[in-house]
Amino acid sequence: MHFDHVVIIGTSLLYSVSLLVVAALGLALAFGMMRVVNMAHGELLMLGAYVSITLVHAGLGFWLTVPVAALAVGLLGMAVERLILRRLYGRIWATMLATWGLSLLLVGAVQFFFGTTTEGIANPLGTVKVGDYTVSAYNLVMIGAAVVMIVATYLLFHRTPFGATARAAAALPEMASALGVNVARTNMISFGVAAALAGLGGALLAPVSGVGPSFGQGYIGRAFMTVVVGGASPLLGTTSAAALLGGVNAGVSNLAGPVLGTVALLLVSMLVLRFLPTGLTGLWRRSR
Amino acid sequence: MQTAPRLGAAGLVAALLIGTAGCQSGSAVADGDGPVDVGTIYDLSGSLSAIGTPKSDAAKLAIEDINASGGVLGRQLNLIGYDAQSDNAKYTQYATALVQKDQVAAIDAGVTSASREAIRPIVDAAGIPYFYGNLYEGGLCDGNVFATGSVPSQQLAQLVPYAKKNFGSSFTILAADYNFGHDEAAWAQKYIEENGGTVTRTEYLPLDQTDFGSTLNNLQQDKPSVVVSLLVGGDQMAFYKQFAAAGLGASTHIITPVFGDGQEQLSIGGAATEGIVIAYSYLQELDTPANTAFLAKWHAKYGDDYPYVTPSAVAVWNDWHLWAAAVTKAGTFDRDKVIGALESGVSYDGPGGKITIDGGSHHAIQNVYVAQGTKDGTFSVLQSYDQVSPAFEHSTCDLITKPDTNQQFKP
Amino acid sequence: MIRMRPGLTGPLTVGAGALLALTLAPYTAHSVTLWVVYGLLALSFTFVWGHGGIFSLGQAAFFGIGGYAYGVAGINLVPSTGESLSSLLIAALVAAAVAALLGYFVFYGDVGDVYLAVITIATTLVLLTFFASTSDSTYRIGNALLGGYNGMVGIPGLVLPGGQRLTANGVLAVVVLIAGGVAIGIAVLLRRPFGRVLAGIRENEVRTQLLGYEVRARKLGAFVIGGFVAGLAGALYAAWGNFINPQVFSLQQASLVAIWTLVGGRRSIPGAFAGAFAVQALSDYLGGVTEGAVIPAVLGAILLVVVLFLPEGVLHPLRERVLSAVRKGTDLDLGVAESDPDPEAAFGRDATPASRVRTVDVQKRFGGLRVLRGVTLDVAPNEVRTVIGPNGAGKSTFFGLLTGRHRPDAGEILLDGVRLNRLRPEKRARLGLGIKTQVPSIYPELSVAENVWIAAYGAGPDAEKRVAEVLAGLRLTGKAQLPAGALAHGEQQWLEIGMVLVRRPRVVLLDEPTAGMTRAETSRYVELIAVLARSATVLVVEHDMEFVRDLGAPVTMLHEGTVFAEGSIAELRADDRVLDVYLGRAKADA
Repeated sequence: MHFDHVVIIGTSLLYSVSLLVVAALGLALAFGMMRVVNMAHGELLMLGAYVSITLVHAGLGFWLTVPVAALAVGLLGMAVERLILRRLYGRIWATMLATWGLSLLLVGAVQFFFGTTTEGIANPLGTVKVGDYTVSAYNLVMIGAAVVMIVATYLLFHRTPFGATARAAAALPEMASALGVNVARTNMISFGVAAALAGLGGALLAPVSGVGPSFGQGYIGRAFMTVVVGGASPLLGTTSAAALLGGVNAGVSNLAGPVLGTVALLLVSMLVLRFLPTGLTGLWRRSR
Repeated sequence: MQTAPRLGAAGLVAALLIGTAGCQSGSAVADGDGPVDVGTIYDLSGSLSAIGTPKSDAAKLAIEDINASGGVLGRQLNLIGYDAQSDNAKYTQYATALVQKDQVAAIDAGVTSASREAIRPIVDAAGIPYFYGNLYEGGLCDGNVFATGSVPSQQLAQLVPYAKKNFGSSFTILAADYNFGHDEAAWAQKYIEENGGTVTRTEYLPLDQTDFGSTLNNLQQDKPSVVVSLLVGGDQMAFYKQFAAAGLGASTHIITPVFGDGQEQLSIGGAATEGIVIAYSYLQELDTPANTAFLAKWHAKYGDDYPYVTPSAVAVWNDWHLWAAAVTKAGTFDRDKVIGALESGVSYDGPGGKITIDGGSHHAIQNVYVAQGTKDGTFSVLQSYDQVSPAFEHSTCDLITKPDTNQQFKP
Repeated sequence: MIRMRPGLTGPLTVGAGALLALTLAPYTAHSVTLWVVYGLLALSFTFVWGHGGIFSLGQAAFFGIGGYAYGVAGINLVPSTGESLSSLLIAALVAAAVAALLGYFVFYGDVGDVYLAVITIATTLVLLTFFASTSDSTYRIGNALLGGYNGMVGIPGLVLPGGQRLTANGVLAVVVLIAGGVAIGIAVLLRRPFGRVLAGIRENEVRTQLLGYEVRARKLGAFVIGGFVAGLAGALYAAWGNFINPQVFSLQQASLVAIWTLVGGRRSIPGAFAGAFAVQALSDYLGGVTEGAVIPAVLGAILLVVVLFLPEGVLHPLRERVLSAVRKGTDLDLGVAESDPDPEAAFGRDATPASRVRTVDVQKRFGGLRVLRGVTLDVAPNEVRTVIGPNGAGKSTFFGLLTGRHRPDAGEILLDGVRLNRLRPEKRARLGLGIKTQVPSIYPELSVAENVWIAAYGAGPDAEKRVAEVLAGLRLTGKAQLPAGALAHGEQQWLEIGMVLVRRPRVVLLDEPTAGMTRAETSRYVELIAVLARSATVLVVEHDMEFVRDLGAPVTMLHEGTVFAEGSIAELRADDRVLDVYLGRAKADA
């Protein structure tokens, strides 16, 4: 195997991992911090992609549309928290079913307003040459974006006063409230951040995907797997689960084809869950 | 506690009664001079709506068009359309509704082969002529069914030799991992070998695949001259974008018999569409008087900003005109006589050119246009082939001598 | 007592439904058949979730497996057997077997609620991927081709023994009878002990476990029954359409199950059918008159509205309104105040030998924190022992080690010499350990009588009689049919004690029993413990020094995870070290 081939396989491995991170981080954050299983996460990705696409068609540069998508979907997330989730905390089934309803509603709404097909956007970057191979420069951006998303989320929730407040408000609402934290507002912002990450992810995925109302469903299954395998800690869990699943998927795909790659991904997920019912995070906790 | 189940039970009975109300009507296709009901079922919501919606629009326009020119045998047509919501149980249900409740004279329905298989037993049992106007993997031989969409012996049979001649002789086949993908891949393999090409690799990809990294790596390693893409559905469209992004278009050409029928070129954009070679019996870009007139009608009804009139939509338009022609020829709506007229080789000058029913196989003889995607997301015709026969179906299926055949032949 | 007679309503409704089925137009019958099948699927979710408290989103998976299994069985067997009922049964059993396998992993792996939901839905999606990629003709079982994405075709419809083909109306009538039979079966099951204990598990899993029930096996049982019913529905679905394809494993199908059940009310058996009827009738209607995105949006909106505003379903509030009007008169009678509980009447028994409880150098750490550094304790049979200590002394952890909530890192916990260290709570309960937790742990939504019954049932014969005695002694007979959650806090404490004691434990563990009680109630409690000590060993973990003094029993004081002092309350009060510990703590608090 030549050096360039190794590089290209390594890149494609990292790319697979970063795709999972980009698609799953918002879901993991909402789940790990707030115990909200957001069934509408895929649709938040989809809306992020639509915001980006619409703005590109309106003449904005792609890179500008990415933060706008994050902001727009983040605001929507805050509204969802305020109008729906707030009434349902503590009842997991209720949040799941309500967000599921929201998911169907959003798919319907997007199809109603945008139709079944929407003009996609082109990949904004060219290619990078590695020996005999070429690789899309955008793939490298995606890898970078995944790293930035994780680091930024870490800094926000572990290195800022807001982060400490937010974690407290989600985990121990009564105590946080007694200490003068505005729990309702803090949770609204936290879910907004989770939604913004989904919007960001959707916008980043738009140039490499066909975008339609069911866009989110292509990612939701794998995103769920990542979160479940990762367990309760949003950052550590998502990163390690994405590394494991993405690595297994890309590795097996390269060796034995994509179908077996998918099978391997599912198999590994099931095994992890059997032996670590609280996900990889449980492993980290146990070894500490 | 005692009262609770009783009230619930009363509710159950009430729901039964409410459920039945409004389902009791039904009009027979009797001779007379009132309107004649005809039916359609397509997916207008859910994942397949991108294909189903233009077909439904085409059916409505066709029925309007036929009615505007005086109807069939002097009778107006009344279209009853259902949205199957990308759910095959709904196809069963609505097919039964069309057969038993609405008692329509003819049906055009279905998007995927799975939906067609759900419909077929019901309409076959009822003996209502069933048109399946959609490109598909070919080979269906059923005395009650007319499959007028393009089949591999029309599309791949032209695409492969064209690619071999113009692009080179090594092929990689990428197929969606389901029935259609496997069947079409077998056809591609057959035509590539017949034309002296070689297949370097065949990959089946899950329908929800969105990351094509390993596929692209393999393409870079094998460097085939041609990729035969049999990928379908929204998720797999990511392949074209990632293919273009990785800059593979410079050395490798994509040919595909499915791209465009679900308006894919719109969703992936011009940059990724550029260079893709397709083959259909109709293209919106055709510059013929027949097509211009057809598009004028279409845009008058649905607006000038209609996304794209797909080949399978035009197949539906053709179906209704072929059926109308057959009824006119038979002089009656009687099922056997209409099918007899269709088998005698009815033809219609459609937007894509003349289309004739091949009597024995119940498929269509029609033009095939090989075209290439451009960077503004449209197609330009490279070459056209006149009156291509569904050769495989014609050779395997003869419903005139063996009217009871009911099976799908495979290569 | 809540002895409900099965009644004739159910069978009559089913019979009427079957007769009605014969009068419908064939097309209507065909559509309604599907609705009934979907109602059966919704019923499986109602049972598993509404009654079992297991939020399994995998009912669509068992439905699909039932469908495929019916397809395989039917294609291979019907030509020789000439009927398809056996295939229906096989299909339901296959689905039940798959549910048993999945349920074993989930329940015996102690997977939490959220994970259960996500794992079941992930399993559904895995099956979708798997069945969609079986288009190759090697995926063949006997004469049945799985058929990949296009699905399995040529599945035989319903054929009764004798082989005659049924009309659409006949099929509907048979399906109504089958579904109705299952629904009645489920209703009966829910009134049987299994169903009543299941309700207990749903309401309060920990309490049920502490009462000695093997919770995991029961949940697995409910899950398997749910799988069976869903599988049967799937088999009927395949028979109805003569095909099955992987779409049954889609998220869309899974979401519909939840919508039907929620609309009908998540505990209502007729509601499952009514919900499926209403939603499917609406979506069938919309499919004929609308285009595009309307249907998913409407379904999504229904789901959202029901969850937010009508969590008990659309039918339930209507029913409640009627019921509350009916109940009004009787409710007032129940409000009459009764006299104080009489421990002697409720629990007084002849003196019987109890068990000896010993702990030897028991240690427990949580992460880096050593909470118990070695506690050695010996409580003789029929002794009353009080364990006190300042906050953080390790009292709760010690209590948790005795109940089985935690497992010790080192040391021994012995009950009459039997090592309890690694036994699960229900096993300890069955060895005679009775546990009263600090916050009243009862079944708030079940009636007072049902609360005591669940406790009594597992502990021997004559459950009904013992329930009546305990309720009388607690002076709760008049409130026996009220939901336990409606009782005053003190009454709930007494109710829980009743639930613990009705099992006649040999050792009673009481965790801060008088929390939230009035002075008068507390003195009743002292009386109670004296009564108890005649037939059980009593270990009280307590905070309230007044109560400890009134009790007058030997005291063990814990401090910093170890036994700090032992003796009578008077001795401890005279000990300066003890005062220092308490006062030191008091200073820090101030």
